[in-house]
Amino acid sequence: MIENFKINSSEIGKIKKISQEEKDFRIKNLSLFNKRGFPNKRNEDWKFSDLREIVQKNFKKLDVNNTRSKVKKINLIEDFDHNYIAIINGELSSSNFKFEEKNKIKIKNFQNDDFLQENKDNPLIHLNHALSNRGYLLEIKENYKFKKALIIYNIFTKDLKENILNSRNKIKIGKNSELHTIDLVTNDSKYKFINNVYENIILESNAIYRNICIQNAKSEGYFHKFSKNILASKSKYSSFIFPSGLKFNKLDLEFNLEGEDSECNIQSASFLNRNDHQEIKTRINHLAPNCKSYQKVKNVLDSDGKGVYQGKIFVKDIAQKTNAYQLSKAILLSDSSEFDAKPELEIYADDVKCSHGSTSGSLDEDSIYYLMSRGLNRKESVKLLVDGFLNEVIEMIKSNSVRKFVQNNLEGQIHGY
Amino acid sequence: MLEIKNLKASVNNRDILKGLNITIKPGELHAIMGPNGSGKSTLANVLSGKNGYEISGEIKYQGKDLIEISVDERAQKGIFLAFQYPIEIPGVNTNNFLKTVLNKVRKARGEQEIDTLSFLKIVKERLSELGIDEKMLSRQLNVGFSGGEKKKNEILQMKILDPNLSILDETDSGLDIDALKIIANGVNSSRDKKKSFLVITHYQRLLNYINPDFVHVLSDGKIIKSGCMELAEELEKTGYKKIN
Repeated sequence: MIENFKINSSEIGKIKKISQEEKDFRIKNLSLFNKRGFPNKRNEDWKFSDLREIVQKNFKKLDVNNTRSKVKKINLIEDFDHNYIAIINGELSSSNFKFEEKNKIKIKNFQNDDFLQENKDNPLIHLNHALSNRGYLLEIKENYKFKKALIIYNIFTKDLKENILNSRNKIKIGKNSELHTIDLVTNDSKYKFINNVYENIILESNAIYRNICIQNAKSEGYFHKFSKNILASKSKYSSFIFPSGLKFNKLDLEFNLEGEDSECNIQSASFLNRNDHQEIKTRINHLAPNCKSYQKVKNVLDSDGKGVYQGKIFVKDIAQKTNAYQLSKAILLSDSSEFDAKPELEIYADDVKCSHGSTSGSLDEDSIYYLMSRGLNRKESVKLLVDGFLNEVIEMIKSNSVRKFVQNNLEGQIHGY
Repeated sequence: MLEIKNLKASVNNRDILKGLNITIKPGELHAIMGPNGSGKSTLANVLSGKNGYEISGEIKYQGKDLIEISVDERAQKGIFLAFQYPIEIPGVNTNNFLKTVLNKVRKARGEQEIDTLSFLKIVKERLSELGIDEKMLSRQLNVGFSGGEKKKNEILQMKILDPNLSILDETDSGLDIDALKIIANGVNSSRDKKKSFLVITHYQRLLNYINPDFVHVLSDGKIIKSGCMELAEELEKTGYKKIN
């Protein structure tokens, strides 16, 4: 059991080749983290996910000193042609852009050059800023549309055991360019570890970014990701998130619609059971006129699964004609499952359309009866209804081959049915 | 096929069926008419095995006691209920649903599962028979269907599953005359010496097209009068109040 988890500042000395400015930045963030430790439920943003308690309960020790692991062979999927990058324990390991024009793409290890302190009250961001020592930078130049999707293989190796990984990634998509990515997570470790990611995605004007994130195997991972996304005028961002099976998972997603006519679309579907704890927290900042945002979060919870959705839409006074939509739906299959939702609107413009809704409840008995009256047993009927409930999100994926791939991957997500 | 003796059913201590008797032989089509609240839908639900009813009396299907058998097993044994209000099932593709349930029922009958191609052939035949647009197959089950489409989909399911005993719970209500004829044709083309039907309705309208062998009047949880088509015609003229 870990109490008062603190990190010695000598850890920063172990990070090689950094400027004094960077060192100061890291030390400052480390002291911010050490002052508070892991966030607990007294912190409003963590009221449904008391990470301090979770870490205390589940970890005997946490090693911040990470070894660099190698993976001999990466199992590439064969469902469709794709480019790929491989990330092993958070570290960029290899890349292949064989379908693209190489001079339009820059991929390298992440090097931080932004040492402005953000005004964020999240100890895990401080921890990441203090210790992150891995990650990638992907830049797409202007006027370039990817011909094939880019799969990001996120592999966690079997030698991870009571580690904490801190990585930082950045994707920048130039003016008029388009990129589709699929994040695939595979975890070979049988042990507990923490993965703490800070992500920064920048869309220049007219850029299009589509992302699908699939994490579905049962594992002992404890994941946190803070994602800061910046959208310039007329840019479009869509993200389909299918997270499931982690012991703990918190996705803290911030979207800044900075340019006029920019759009973001976030949809997620998860099945949580057996002590899975998952939180999706969003903050959509409408900072310019005529922007659109759409959020749909669906959860199915079975035995001891816990789901949380905290969604905030902020509309700045100048952001007239904002169109913002937010919906959270949860199905609880067991008395021991829990779902918490906190939808929030903060609006300072007067000509906007903002809506939010949240429903949670058990499966409709009449629907089960209807399906059973056609010959399916109760379990099969429940599975079909759960599949259908989650499928509504998958159906929104446009590409046939990708949709089928996601569907096949998620069949296994509905654990135990 | 079906033998019901002194059937009583109640919900939350409210008696709905109060000693109902009816016998349906193979090949027969029985119609049950009755005013609102007489227990027609309860009868349909109880026969399909829906939970939530206190039941006493006897229901025998193909000579065997039915009361202890679950909803899905009844369906597998060839009992089909066309719902008065078919349920919308979001996210479930109609075609996949039809194939899944057909295979489930076939398996229970000891038949081989059907492959996608042969299934599609059967479905397309039935669709054209019922005048249903093939596009329905790619839609989510009953979601956004019009009242008529939902009812036609029930009859489509009936034709695909090919049950021994079909119970139609007010399938005719809310239908225009063309849809009514399509549904009547659907029933008529399924009739043979082995198959039985129990058609629940408010009106004589549907019965004009399907010629029932027997007509029963259900009132206050009991069959108060039985006869043939003339009884339905009489009801249409006089209303339910005069029958007693």
